[in-house]
Formats: sequence, structure tokens, C-alpha cells
Amino acid sequence: MNIELKKFGTTLVSRPAGKEAWLAFQPVLKEVLLDEKIIVNFDGVVVLTPSWADEFLTPLRSNFKDKVELININNPSVKATLSILDDSGLSSYL
Amino acid sequence: MHRFTYTTMHKLLSIGQVAELLGVSIDTLRRWDSAGRLCSIRSGVHGHRFYNRSDIDQYLQDINTVALNWAKSTSAVEPNPDVYCQTRDIFQARLEKLQSELSKITPIEVVSLITAVAGEIGNNSFDHNLGNWPDIPGVFFSYAMRNRKVVLADRGQGILTTLKRVRSELANSSEALKMAFTETVSGRYPETRGNGLKFVRSIIVKNPFSLYFQTGDAQLYLKKDDDELNIKQTETIIKGCYALISFEELL
Repeated sequence: MNIELKKFGTTLVSRPAGKEAWLAFQPVLKEVLLDEKIIVNFDGVVVLTPSWADEFLTPLRSNFKDKVELININNPSVKATLSILDDSGLSSYL
Repeated sequence: MHRFTYTTMHKLLSIGQVAELLGVSIDTLRRWDSAGRLCSIRSGVHGHRFYNRSDIDQYLQDINTVALNWAKSTSAVEPNPDVYCQTRDIFQARLEKLQSELSKITPIEVVSLITAVAGEIGNNSFDHNLGNWPDIPGVFFSYAMRNRKVVLADRGQGILTTLKRVRSELANSSEALKMAFTETVSGRYPETRGNGLKFVRSIIVKNPFSLYFQTGDAQLYLKKDDDELNIKQTETIIKGCYALISFEELL
């Protein structure tokens, strides 16, 4: 499964927006097959903060663990966010 | 009638130039002119608006002072609509406007980081004061592109009040400010969040930016390569939070 984050917006900064994205995406995530990878594509995201990421990426990683793969994470705010979310294991993608 | 010499004209700016400098629309400048907030000089048969450069310089320098005065004032008055984000939706829209303005003058790397810092600080104000605003809800949010400054302020409860709910041992604003910038702790227990200001710090110390942050009677000044937090006690008290982000090295 591919998740294109830019479809949620390019300035992903608030908790409510992250929570809403997570809730809205639940029906899609229920369709993930047992051995299917979940590829999260950051292409097109201009700004990401821990507030948004904590509501979407943290539970995604928590629920699907190593099945989650992050790509196109070169944006500096994306890198800074992932490195601060070390408790969730997201910093390991850097 | 005033005669416009070359020297006089040289010190005057057109409304378009001023709009660019302040990061606002020409219509906004016309409204400010009518309201007496930023007055123009009319010239020519069509009465075109011009501005004294010294007035604009003064205005740009004053943005942070206006925000600070609003945050510490004992009288609760809503800020000017152009800088007031009563709700998070308004803040998000104006943050994206900041991002757009930044992208005209700085590389995408800087746009991304400055917007992220401003976004995290502004959203923190909403996160920690929702349903608990003491008087005026929302944030003061403004910026001066020419001076490379972004300012945010709120009249919320402040960091000490928020964190004391989960860390009752906190004795003063300085301790609370230090904790907010160094530990993963949230005043929204039982939520396991609280990375926001740590994130802000991680960006400031690695880039040619600086941050002045005040809450209660504690102030923090943070800049590139700072290992320690430089927290001092202030004479004036802000009940909420005030933040001035500068990136003047990119001038």
C-alpha cells in the first residue's frame, strides 16, 4: 500500500489535522493484507512537525511496526520531526 | 502643494513596494491607511499612495513590540484583525501565507524549517489552552520579511500552569521553560506527547536562526550552536507565551 502524504496537505503541522488524517484513513488501513508493506511517501510535503506526525505516523508505526517504510524523507522539517520522535522508532528511518 | 524633488521621491515607496516589504496585500494597506494605522502620502493628479521609508522601517521594527505589549497588557483587547488568529484554522491559513512569502526570498530548506518552528509554537498555544483561555482566545501572529522576523504571542495560561498539572514539583516559570525545551513532557496528560519545543530547539541550534521565548517571568534566548539553555528572569510578566523567531543572517 502506498500512502502519499501530500494528499493530506503540504503543510502538516497541527494535532487535529494529524488526528483527522488518521481517522479518515482507517477504512483504507483495514484493507492492508497480512504481508503487505505500507510505503509512506513524503514527496511534495513542504512542512512537517511532530504535532501532526505524532497523530498519524506514530500510531501507524505502532500498529504496523516494520511493515512501514518511509520514502522521500529529504525535506529538513521531515528529518527534524523523525529524529525527535525517537520513542516511536521513527528516527530509525533516518 | 508639496513639491516632490528627486531626493524626496528617493525616500518614498510605492504601495506595491510596501506591500512586498510587509508581506500584506495592497488592499490591506489601503484599509490601514483609511484607519490611520499606517498613513500614506497622496501624490499626483490621481492621488497615488506613497509611503515614507522611515515610517515603514519604524513599522517593521515595531511588530515584535506590538505583540509583546499585547501579551503582557493587563487589559484584554483583541489585536488588529490582520495579526489576530482567533482559531486554529485562521492560523493555518496565515502560516501557509508565511510559507509562501518565505519561498520568495529563501531556499525551500529555510522555508520548511521556519514554517515548522512557527507552526509548532502557534499550535502549542491552541493545544494547551483549548477551553481554558483566560481572556482573549487565539494567537497574535505576524512577520516582517525585510527584517527576517516572525512573532507569535498568546494570552493563554503559560507553560508553568500547563506543566504543573503533570509536574507539581515545578516551582517557577524558569523551571517550567527549561523542562518544556528539554524533556518530553505534555501538560495534556494522559496523552504521551510533548515534543514540540524540543523540536523547536533542535532546529534553532542547528541553523542560522535565533529564538527569544518568554512565559511568565522567564525568558530564553536560543541561537545556533547553543548547547545550554540561556534562561533568565524578567522584570515584566507575560501570563501566556511570546516568541520571536529571527533569521536575520539570511538578509
